Amino acid sequence: MRLEGVGHRYGLGGPWILRGVDLDLRAGRLLRLQGGNGSGKSTLLRLLAGIDAPSVGRISGRPRPRGYVPERFPAALPLTARGYLTHLGRVHGLSRRAAGRAADAWLERFGAAEYAGTRMSELSKGGSQKVAVAQALLAGPALLVLDEAWTGLDQAARAELDRAVAERLAAGGAVAFVDHDPRRLADAADAVYRVTDGTLVPGAPGRALVRIEAEGPTRAAEPPVPGTPRGWVRAADGSVVLTVPAGDSDAVLYALLAARPAWHIRSVRPVREAG
Amino acid sequence: MTALSALVRYQFALLLRSQRWLPPLLVYAGLFGVGVRAGQPVLDSLGYAAAVLLPVAAWLVRLCATAEPDAARHCGVAAAGAVRVQLGGVLAGGAAAGVLGLAATAAVLLLGDAHSTDGRVSVPLLPAAGAGVLAVAACVLAGAGVGALCARPVLRARGWGVLATVGGVVLVLAARASPARAAVSGLTSGSGTGTVPASWGALLGAAAFAACAVGLSLLAASRRG
Repeated sequence: MRLEGVGHRYGLGGPWILRGVDLDLRAGRLLRLQGGNGSGKSTLLRLLAGIDAPSVGRISGRPRPRGYVPERFPAALPLTARGYLTHLGRVHGLSRRAAGRAADAWLERFGAAEYAGTRMSELSKGGSQKVAVAQALLAGPALLVLDEAWTGLDQAARAELDRAVAERLAAGGAVAFVDHDPRRLADAADAVYRVTDGTLVPGAPGRALVRIEAEGPTRAAEPPVPGTPRGWVRAADGSVVLTVPAGDSDAVLYALLAARPAWHIRSVRPVREAG
Repeated sequence: MTALSALVRYQFALLLRSQRWLPPLLVYAGLFGVGVRAGQPVLDSLGYAAAVLLPVAAWLVRLCATAEPDAARHCGVAAAGAVRVQLGGVLAGGAAAGVLGLAATAAVLLLGDAHSTDGRVSVPLLPAAGAGVLAVAACVLAGAGVGALCARPVLRARGWGVLATVGGVVLVLAARASPARAAVSGLTSGSGTGTVPASWGALLGAAAFAACAVGLSLLAASRRG
């Protein structure tokens, strides 16, 4: 699908939330959107999902079926989890039987099978988030739009959602998402954009990095790291700051701790390659 | 089409399970009980039953249009499109009002006296039933139009929506040019002479109004689901 010169504002006199957005989202691609609170990320996701029409510009080639997970999914519906999902499955175009099966299957995958008969209003926050994610995945969406969908899920369900996204991508679906965790699907993102002041700034699909701050046995000691790390710099107090790809961080830490005399690790922080 | 019928069923389920249908049903039953008595002239009572159905139809359509919290509605919009979601709500509310109206028509036919108001001319029941159904349809259409205009996505603020619904209902019931009023007054004046009216013109007018009003709400939905 393609966005050309897309701008959006709510109401005729409202401020522009987005302006001049051009974007290509191809089949099988994963798009990550970043930006501060109120930057217009959620608005852009709603335009992508076809919930709002852009005030100016054109969006074309939006595939079906589509799934959308809103930022905050309200539990205030007078249906059971399974009942709601079956209805939504039918809205997605599934037959009654297929909708029921898909509802059960997704509740099971997210570890919520036991809540199938629970009224939505009695679900915990995490439980209702599982239902929110499940409804978007019911029909095997060709376009999946996730607005902080991982927030509120437990660890196992987060991993399951990661897998579900990978499955959609493998099946040729396009996925767009926002998440506060910079490591989320970091290795899979094909494109990363930042929304700032209502415009879309392309960023390299930055890799997840880990910054390690370590103190050597002497002020001049060089870190005994395997291979060629991304580089290290010496701070004014003599300690060393290493920035390494997330995948290598364990090996680097091990090398530092295994050295004789050993290095002292001051801090380990995940960071993101500037995009 | 399958998506639309699925949306209508979903809206029915929300309406039934939420028990939000209860207040409009009770209000309608109350108004019916106050205005319709056994042995009253049947055409007169049919007119009354249709007239008081109009605000209830607007109410039910408003209930269906606002049944879901925004975020839940957005999920359906992503799945089926905003126009279908909006239409599903209006159809569900309108159909609920229609069922209520048919039940009321049947009750009037059972309870009412099949004569003109002065009791001299007898009124044939089957044509009277047809005229009652026509008037119910006209009032449901007009009420649904008002309800669709006074709820999301046209009017988002709840307070203004309720006020506008009340104002719109009064206007549609009282305005001289209103097809709903024409359908109702056709029955009440027909009751005076004992002639069963055929208010097809009123039904067409009400359908045209409903089409414009609902069309406007669909247009608004396609801009902002």
